[in-house]
Amino acid sequence: MVAQRHTEADASFRSNFEAIAANAPNAAIQAWRQESFARFEAIGIPTTRFEPWKYTNIGRSLRQPFRPARAPQLGSDAMRAHFAGGPSARRLIFINGQIQSSFSHAHGFPEGVVVKPLSTMLRDAPDRVLDGLDADDERSFTALNGAFLTDGAWIEVPAGVNVTTPLQLLFLTVAEPAAAMCHPRIVVKLGEGSSLHLIESHIGLGGQVLTNLVTQVELGEQAVLDHDRLQLGGDGTTLVGRADVDLGRKARLNQVLATSGGGLTRNETEARLNGSGIECILNGTFLPRGNEHIDNTIRIEHRAPDSHSDQFYKGVLDDKARAVFAGKILVTREAQRTNAYQRNNNLMLTDDAEIDAKPELEIYADDVKCSHGATSSDLDEISLFYLQSRGLDRRRATAMLTYAFAGEIIDRYRDDGLKKQAQRSVLDRLPGGKALDFLE
Amino acid sequence: MLEIKNVHAEVGGKEILKGITLAIKPGEIHAMMGPNGSGKSTLAYVLAGRDGYDVTSGEIVFDGKNLLEMETEERAAAGFFLAMQYPIEIPGVANNYFLRQALNALREARGQEKASAAEFMKTLREQAKVVGVKPELLKRDVNTGFSGGEKKRNEILQMAMLEPRFCVLDETDSGLDIDALKTVADGVNGLRGPERSFLVITHYQRLLDYIVPDHVHVLADGKIQRSGGKELALELEKGGYERLLGKPEAELRVSA
Repeated sequence: MVAQRHTEADASFRSNFEAIAANAPNAAIQAWRQESFARFEAIGIPTTRFEPWKYTNIGRSLRQPFRPARAPQLGSDAMRAHFAGGPSARRLIFINGQIQSSFSHAHGFPEGVVVKPLSTMLRDAPDRVLDGLDADDERSFTALNGAFLTDGAWIEVPAGVNVTTPLQLLFLTVAEPAAAMCHPRIVVKLGEGSSLHLIESHIGLGGQVLTNLVTQVELGEQAVLDHDRLQLGGDGTTLVGRADVDLGRKARLNQVLATSGGGLTRNETEARLNGSGIECILNGTFLPRGNEHIDNTIRIEHRAPDSHSDQFYKGVLDDKARAVFAGKILVTREAQRTNAYQRNNNLMLTDDAEIDAKPELEIYADDVKCSHGATSSDLDEISLFYLQSRGLDRRRATAMLTYAFAGEIIDRYRDDGLKKQAQRSVLDRLPGGKALDFLE
Repeated sequence: MLEIKNVHAEVGGKEILKGITLAIKPGEIHAMMGPNGSGKSTLAYVLAGRDGYDVTSGEIVFDGKNLLEMETEERAAAGFFLAMQYPIEIPGVANNYFLRQALNALREARGQEKASAAEFMKTLREQAKVVGVKPELLKRDVNTGFSGGEKKRNEILQMAMLEPRFCVLDETDSGLDIDALKTVADGVNGLRGPERSFLVITHYQRLLDYIVPDHVHVLADGKIQRSGGKELALELEKGGYERLLGKPEAELRVSA
């Protein structure tokens, strides 16, 4: 029998698709959705026989039907707890993928800056959105996202403009009467020499919600994007995200991504370094516990000489959690004098936790500096003893050392508010962590 | 205050302490001297309760309580402190943060009020000055990237901050130049008091010029071979362990 790389999607996707097909804002979007859904059905759902999904059995999370989300109400206090970016920050807020206009605030940017809900763009300027979409994309979840394309964020910064106020995209998911799905799309275009500090939060407040996120980022020459991403899943939430990033000459991407909680999370990032002098920094930490599963899959393509990329991911795995770190660096023949580094260090708190670390280098240029390294270890006994000898009980000592391990990444957040939220959530999830205070 | 009664202990199945008996009263300073491999550090770890340092017989009574039944952190809460020979680096945890969490955990266990941030920082800066810990080291991660001397001073700073009643200094003098040694000794002497006792473990007599002990013991092959006043240290300095104990060096180490 031939191993199946994809399997047929659950029939509920079709019935749910048909239910919303007539709701498209215009004919162009309707056509795009139809075409995308046909593509999704033709591709199916990836199995673990398909190399990019080898260690993440996504089919298991999709066995039940997901109805398109209906965006229930949420009190403003519940939202405010996840605000970040300081008092001057601008913000788009989404509940189960749909924009909450009355709570969002995205005005007062410099002239030419566009920050809009994607739903507005789909209604008013569908061709501009469709222009950037790839009709031949063969990824199952990207096609599915296109089929249900409804909302998200559209961000454009014109050449030479430095946006000094942080912009937060806050995605909250909440329980609905039945399992729900949403398919947000984020589009970020930074013109030549422009800059933006983008904060992206995905907060699961419980309930069976599937978020299928697609992100497209284009950084023009010398554009700078600081991208702080925090993903705190809730029980039963599934987050499948793919980000495509194109960087132009001397562009700089500085990303920090912390993920904890959630039933299953997949963070897929592909960065294409299309010019020289680019700096692409991807820092991440992931902290699954219980039966949680977190997959970070990264592909970096160096396509031009003299650029630099650095991936540094740290995992903390508790209970029976599973995690994947698959990082590939591809250096084309043109990309001489590339510096590309990748590190993945994991702290295993139990014997039952499991990490699949899969570093991969594919190098065609002959003058490059590339390295990768992966380690997995448990907590150091002598360090625990040292902390205990100073009065911290074993649980607090464990929490402190565990926090310190992940903290090396969390400290790299540019935004202090987000940093504190990440710190608190990490500590609260560690046995003994509640007794420690990092927030003074 | 502390009574060690005929303690035998093993590490990895090998007997290292072969019957130690020692009583230390409140306010006293005892020096435990001995050559390398005589069991000095094992005694320190047995007192602190490190895993893998197993007492096979004998007992240790601290303030009327059975020390050996207490967890390491309970010993700390009871007032026991070990300044380690090789202080541990804790990357990712700031020195001042660590000390405050430790102090608050101890105060909580002792039923005392927690220190306010302001009160804590004030005391910390004052004490750091006394023991010669540079202010910038307070913000750095615990012992991470510290020189050998800085680590030792940091141990004494912790000792000063955590308000112990019984302190063990395990080879605190090793790796210190004479100036650092004096500063550390000044710090220790400043902590002396009628209710606080010290066990100073050292290979060399030098430290005892600055921290003057009430009693000196000489440990070899897992047993206390001689005990006396501070003059015993001087005698040792002149003749060395071999002459003092009348045995070749090989026999001073813990034999299998």
